[in-house]
Amino acid sequence: MFQLRPITKRRLQRFHSLKRGWYAFLFLSICLAFTVLAEVFINSRALYVQHEGKSSFPTYGDPIPGKVFGLGYGYETDYKELQAHFAASGSSSKVIMPLIPWGPNEMDYSVPPPAKPSAKHWLGTDIMGRDILSRLVYGFRVSISFALLMVGMTYSIGVTLGCLSGYYGSWIDLITQRLQEIWMCLPFLFIVIIITAFWSPGFVGLAFICAIFSWMGIASTMRAMTFKEKSREYVTAARSLGAGTGRIVFRHILPNTLSIVISSLPFQVAGGISALTSLDFLGYGVPPPMPSWGELMEQGLGRLDAWWILGSVATAMTIILISITFIGEGLREAFDPKRHSTYD
Amino acid sequence: MPDSNDIILEIRDLKMHFPVKKGLFSRTVGQVRAVDGVSLKIRRGETVGLVGESGCGKSTLGRCVIRLYDPTEGRIFFNGRDISQAGPAEMRALRKDMQIIFQDPNESLNSRHSVEEILEEPFIIHDVGSPEERRIWIRQLLSRVGLPESAAERYPHEFSGGQRQRIGIARAIALKPKLIVCDEAVSALDVSIQSQVLNLLMDLQDEMNLTYIFIAHGLPVVKLISDRIAVMYLGKVVEFTSSQRIYDAPQHPYTQALISAIPEADPEHRTERIILQGDVPSPINPPSGCAFHPRCRFATERCKKESPQFRQLGNDEHWVACHHAGELVATSSES
Ligand SMILES: Nc1ncnc2c1ncn2[C@@H]1O[C@H](COP(=O)(O)OP(=O)(O)O)[C@@H](O)[C@H]1O
Ligand SMILES: [Mg+2]
Repeated sequence: MFQLRPITKRRLQRFHSLKRGWYAFLFLSICLAFTVLAEVFINSRALYVQHEGKSSFPTYGDPIPGKVFGLGYGYETDYKELQAHFAASGSSSKVIMPLIPWGPNEMDYSVPPPAKPSAKHWLGTDIMGRDILSRLVYGFRVSISFALLMVGMTYSIGVTLGCLSGYYGSWIDLITQRLQEIWMCLPFLFIVIIITAFWSPGFVGLAFICAIFSWMGIASTMRAMTFKEKSREYVTAARSLGAGTGRIVFRHILPNTLSIVISSLPFQVAGGISALTSLDFLGYGVPPPMPSWGELMEQGLGRLDAWWILGSVATAMTIILISITFIGEGLREAFDPKRHSTYD
Repeated sequence: MPDSNDIILEIRDLKMHFPVKKGLFSRTVGQVRAVDGVSLKIRRGETVGLVGESGCGKSTLGRCVIRLYDPTEGRIFFNGRDISQAGPAEMRALRKDMQIIFQDPNESLNSRHSVEEILEEPFIIHDVGSPEERRIWIRQLLSRVGLPESAAERYPHEFSGGQRQRIGIARAIALKPKLIVCDEAVSALDVSIQSQVLNLLMDLQDEMNLTYIFIAHGLPVVKLISDRIAVMYLGKVVEFTSSQRIYDAPQHPYTQALISAIPEADPEHRTERIILQGDVPSPINPPSGCAFHPRCRFATERCKKESPQFRQLGNDEHWVACHHAGELVATSSES
């Protein structure tokens, strides 16, 4: 039995009524769904191949060697070539390619890179001949997964430490507070550069390093919220019933601090995307050839004559960050405690 | 009438001092003497009213009694057993027997929980009953406090103040406690609602043989429900006797002032209104001797130096903390 609390319902209604945030939310949801299914729309692999009466769907799964389709090689089939081959030989075999038949790491030297936007490459190619639209879409997938992973880790650390120090106070609070102050003074970029000098952190490791440098804000919000909530009477009431610390924290205090956590979430995600982009830009981000926005940006700045590189990535980044910010604003409005009731 | 020898709760010289902390290293710079030496015996099945100005330590005393605070000094006997040092395991079991109803149900009910969740909590914590049994009990509790069973699915903010307080009462009686501290349980309600809730409390008392410590800052409400009344001033109980005697023959000058401040319906009975001079002193730095002496009409040199004993007057069921108690009755009835 799943039932929304009335206040939650009202908040969602309010969020819905704030058009800017709501449309940004729809737009971003579509973008997310699109990146999840990106292989179907943007891919060097064919959607469907019919050859000698057999159908195959190469989009997902292991690569199919060229020999299977009567091409003379054992590595993965080049479907664009296969399509041309079938057309030339006039056989009944068919290849259906995705809307944009370019993978993010596929290089096209048929036009000298970087190539201008054209019917073949809608946003042109980068200096290595890779389709920019494809790299943008797959780069978005990397960025957003990175941001979500990082935000998840940030919240785990921040909420735990903030809650501990707000609930227990005394020396735990003292230690956490000092830790927080020290951490805020550490220069993030220098530390990352030093770490990457002798250890290549990979995708998850990088998210973790970023999280370790961004939990402080949430920790102090959570500390203040916990401190306030724990002295409220409903907590005393639970204590008088015999509730233990675990129950008080997880059933009473945390749910009551949720609205703050939720309304800061979009801004954190936007921060995560920017963080990865700037690290990539400086060359300390995800390992190549993983598609990344920061790498595109760096290329674009180096080749201002190929304006479409920087133009595409800057536009994409702006649109995404603005829509996330709109969502954040909408949520903040909808969750504004002053709007609903004093006691929430 | 409750049996005068069946004592459910005895408080002996109870003190609760909160440290006042200051500065970087949280140095203790003083003590708030919220409760400063209270002794009371409360009988099974009676209602003891606790009155006094705001800030005099009523809530603190109530919370000490059910061990929401760890008292600084003194002892608490519940059913003859010393619980002032009870450890967490012992306290958990005791929680079933002692409950509290708060003033503001907006604050004391978690707004994120449905009524069902709120009322199920005591059963979950003490691990009684199966989910089906709890469902039935919750509905019984709701109808017992005069709410429809459909209330279970709703959230506190959907109810009126009086109904919300009924939810708080239902939660307090869920585990069939023996003692309930009602901390200004009706003070926030409209007068018409107040009497309904008071009636409910009295019915429940008869039915479940409950003992109440009924805290309020005004005498009239307390008089309606209490068998005996304790008057508090600055962390101390200054007078304790039956509610009839408090009205008819108040002994402590402070009690006399409180009584005289009540608007009297019958103009024949109207007595001179005693206006208290000055403000309530700070519990951090209470006056020497009798804490009431700076505001007392009858204060003497002795009152400034010597703190009065909380003593029984003759053989009556009447305790007062005043050097001049007994002598002052004449004075007040003359005027
Ligand atoms: N947790 C606490 N910490 C410090 N001081 C407190 C605390 N609780 C109450 N006090 C102080 O103790 C005194 C008595 O408070 P309280 O028992 O709430 O009074 P009442 O309920 O009679 O209005 C007040 O001066 C109050 O400021
Ligand atoms: Mg109080």
